[in-house]
Amino acid sequence: MSRGPLLGELAVLDDVGPPRRGRAYPAAGVGWSLLAPAVLLLGGLLAWPVLRTVHASVTTDGRWVGAEHYRAALAAPGTAAVIGRTLLWALLVPTVVTVLGYLLAAASRRSQEGWLVRLILVVPTALPLVVTGVTFRLLYDPDPERGLATLLLARVTGRDPEQLPQLLGPDLVTVAVMSAFVWAWVGLAMLVFRAALDAVPTGLADAVRAFGGSRRDVLWDAQWRPLLLRTVAVVFALVAVGTSRTFDLILVMTPGSVRDEAAVLSLRIWQTSGATTSGEGAALGVVWLVAVTAGMLVVALFVRQAWPPPQQPAGGAVTAPPPRRVVRLLAGGAAIAWLLPLGVLAATSLQNPVRAATDGWWSGPPGLDSYRAVLSGAELWRSLGFTLVLAVVVTAAVLGVALLAAYPLAWLTGPAAQITGLVLMAAVVVPVQVIAGPLNEVLGLALSSGTARGVALVHIALGVPFAVLVLRNAFADLPADQVRGARIGGRHWWGTLRRLARHNRTALVAVAVLEFVQVWNDLVVGLLFSGPDAAPLGLFLAGQTRGFVAGSGTLAAGCVLASILPVLVFVLARRQVVAGLVAGGVR
Amino acid sequence: MSGIGVRRRTLLGAATAATVAATGGCGQGRRSVQVAVVWAGGELARFREVVAGYPTTVQVVGVGNDIDAFLTARRAAGTSPDVAILPRPGLVIEYARRGWLSEVTPVVSYTAPTGMSDLLSVGGRRYGVWVKAAHKSLFWHFPSMLAEPPRSWDALVTLTRRLGERHLAGAGPAPLAIGAADGWVLTDWFENVLADVAGVNLYGALARGEADWRSPPVQYALERLAELWSVDGAFPGGGPRALLTQFEESIIQVVHHREATMVFEADFVDAVVARFRRGTEPLATFRFPGARVADQPLIVGGDAAVAFAGSDGGAELVRWLSDAVAFLPWLDAGGYLSPNLAVPVASYRDPLRRRLAGELRAADTVQFDLSDQLPGTFTGTDGVGIWRIMQDFFMNVTDGVPAREAVRRATGQLTEAARAAAERGR
Repeated sequence: MSRGPLLGELAVLDDVGPPRRGRAYPAAGVGWSLLAPAVLLLGGLLAWPVLRTVHASVTTDGRWVGAEHYRAALAAPGTAAVIGRTLLWALLVPTVVTVLGYLLAAASRRSQEGWLVRLILVVPTALPLVVTGVTFRLLYDPDPERGLATLLLARVTGRDPEQLPQLLGPDLVTVAVMSAFVWAWVGLAMLVFRAALDAVPTGLADAVRAFGGSRRDVLWDAQWRPLLLRTVAVVFALVAVGTSRTFDLILVMTPGSVRDEAAVLSLRIWQTSGATTSGEGAALGVVWLVAVTAGMLVVALFVRQAWPPPQQPAGGAVTAPPPRRVVRLLAGGAAIAWLLPLGVLAATSLQNPVRAATDGWWSGPPGLDSYRAVLSGAELWRSLGFTLVLAVVVTAAVLGVALLAAYPLAWLTGPAAQITGLVLMAAVVVPVQVIAGPLNEVLGLALSSGTARGVALVHIALGVPFAVLVLRNAFADLPADQVRGARIGGRHWWGTLRRLARHNRTALVAVAVLEFVQVWNDLVVGLLFSGPDAAPLGLFLAGQTRGFVAGSGTLAAGCVLASILPVLVFVLARRQVVAGLVAGGVR
Repeated sequence: MSGIGVRRRTLLGAATAATVAATGGCGQGRRSVQVAVVWAGGELARFREVVAGYPTTVQVVGVGNDIDAFLTARRAAGTSPDVAILPRPGLVIEYARRGWLSEVTPVVSYTAPTGMSDLLSVGGRRYGVWVKAAHKSLFWHFPSMLAEPPRSWDALVTLTRRLGERHLAGAGPAPLAIGAADGWVLTDWFENVLADVAGVNLYGALARGEADWRSPPVQYALERLAELWSVDGAFPGGGPRALLTQFEESIIQVVHHREATMVFEADFVDAVVARFRRGTEPLATFRFPGARVADQPLIVGGDAAVAFAGSDGGAELVRWLSDAVAFLPWLDAGGYLSPNLAVPVASYRDPLRRRLAGELRAADTVQFDLSDQLPGTFTGTDGVGIWRIMQDFFMNVTDGVPAREAVRRATGQLTEAARAAAERGR
């Protein structure tokens, strides 16, 4: 899928819990017409394509064929392995990310250099996955003259390069792609855990200690039971859904000969159908859609039970003891390990194009030749300009549509609120590869298939559910007096909405930043829906990976240039992003 | 230089006449013609120069590698371009069968080599003309590293064994570089051997999906590849490393690191050589060797221009592109080969192209790239179709699987893929 939920699940899942809204809103004063844009977008560009996919999976040219496509798709060689690998991704990777994220959050929490560690870990989160893929492919290059990992492996094992296990070879390629994914996502898990740990009342830990509790008791009674359980569930679900984005990584990191050994469902569907509708592709898509949605629902129900009322941020002086030395070393080590791939990317981009392709990035003096080569072409500039405009337009549109929709939705109470929550959540996790064919048909009707307009429309439709969820929660959590003030102060509904939106500035900033970074970093929407006049950055970079080694210098330079803006935006706004998305708290 | 100038003028004269004939009777001030192409960067710029000579404005759009998806989506939306340059004749046939294309007539002088011209016709109607060609039967090497090129397949195997042994002993470069990470490199190998052992009829029948992939000549071709690829020390870094080596990198291994002696691929190798060669020694080429010294297979690839049904200016632009003059900017740039035999051999700038253009005329039969003719996903892309099957085969034979077993698996996969493609096409 092109975009999944980010930090918001804290807010999102919270919402399925005991209804807390409604108290603020005495009566619905605004017509359902505010919902119209969102309903139109989601209905036309998500719901209809999903139905059409289901339809295509059981018909051939409109003729009912029952489960034939399912049988064919499941019997196709390799499908079992692909499904197994997808499951492995959805279980193993979230576990690793969750554990690492917790450890690093705990380790970096109270030490003085913690902010630096956190900053380093957050940078990969904001990178486009295409750039992450390029970085790790450079790192894992099978030639010890170019690939640092291969060189280190050769030094450590003392073996001939020919005898070494190949990191991008058929046996290890999935592990290699997973490592890149973990690298990119741990920072996010760490941010969420940190917010959770900060929300644990310190008094609780003191109380456990006062009763003679050991370190383990503190962890269990003062952290796990009151708060961490649900955070773990949330982070796990978040990353599990996020693993469907491995698509970008696989496309960029794997040479053609090992692509099948790394393939997951998203890739298989794309290989079977591309941007058209085919029976087998649709069948696989439906299987995947059902699995993802079911997983999401299970997590939602589970979290609902485990979810206590929101905690007030602890605030005040933190008096807990600083972490142990081992833990601090862990944090330092992680920072260095996380910095290394970034260093490889930067160093490669500083070699001239020929040297980057033929020798290691450590072999020659740095220079700007690769940057000159990539900047002198018109294509990168065009992509940068187009992507900037696209990201700004899409962000503005998503904010507008979501604000309008979130306002009336925040008034809902009880089952209605829960059902809209679940529907929106399901919409968030729909993988775009599954509905690409029907989506293209719909865009064709609007005469915007293969145009910039089409790409923008798809981005907006995919971005709206998440934005509505977050903003709805933010509205619903506003204190009653602020709402009352806004209702009295605003002369019309839009006046009220504007006043309320002002109180929700953090949530708005969070949604805007995430949407912007999301669109900027996108590959798959560009791949499936762009045309000649729409040349998004992700597609431009991914296109250059075809002759990977020969173009590695200019490719690395392009990657660095493409990463500056999302990293800057995300790092500068990370506090607002987390604060805006973690529900509860008084704003 | 003056000689070329004269030839250019002659060509231009012919072109003007042709253009007048082509556009005669059509009103001026028509809307511009839109052309979708797969090219990007320098290649795209070159094509813009080509169509700059066309009387009406031509809007060229580079749509990236997956032109099939683009055109299918555009078709669904009812916004097909007027003309597309397709990289595979298989696509031309598919589109023509679906009724998407309009018939085209090239200019009188247009002549494509036998074996290429029929590939763009369905039911006796022609739906496309060739605009660019690639010669895909060349080995490249430094003369200083290989003085006597092998002249037959057996000589190539013997040479590979000898150099392989030397390489394993650490006394020299590996005999062959191969970009096995790109499936098309392996299919090009296979097609050359197949064209050599299978004969025109079987080759064509396989391309049309009418022949059995388990037939003895196919097996024999695969056995020959296994014989060569399984030589110990044949590739720098061994088989698994070769499977992670892409096309450009395999050339870098020869021309920069000199880790390998020879590399097989098409005439466009020289563009990569120009970027990465170390030293000043020019690279030499020899033809892909056949079973006998006299038999040399010749595989060509190419791009075809088609016009979409319902466009006003499309068929005319395609006709114009079939004229030798349309190729002039490509001739000027160098490094391109025309499939049009009406382009005089002497008008090529570089000696290599002049020789290759001569070979294109001299060959009894020119076989067109087989994988490009295959239908549906069988045609291959990363991890899919015949690309994947050949990579599996390469992996098997370099991993010590006996040739007979590897061939059995490959022919089984090929048969299955052909069956699936035929079923889907129905």
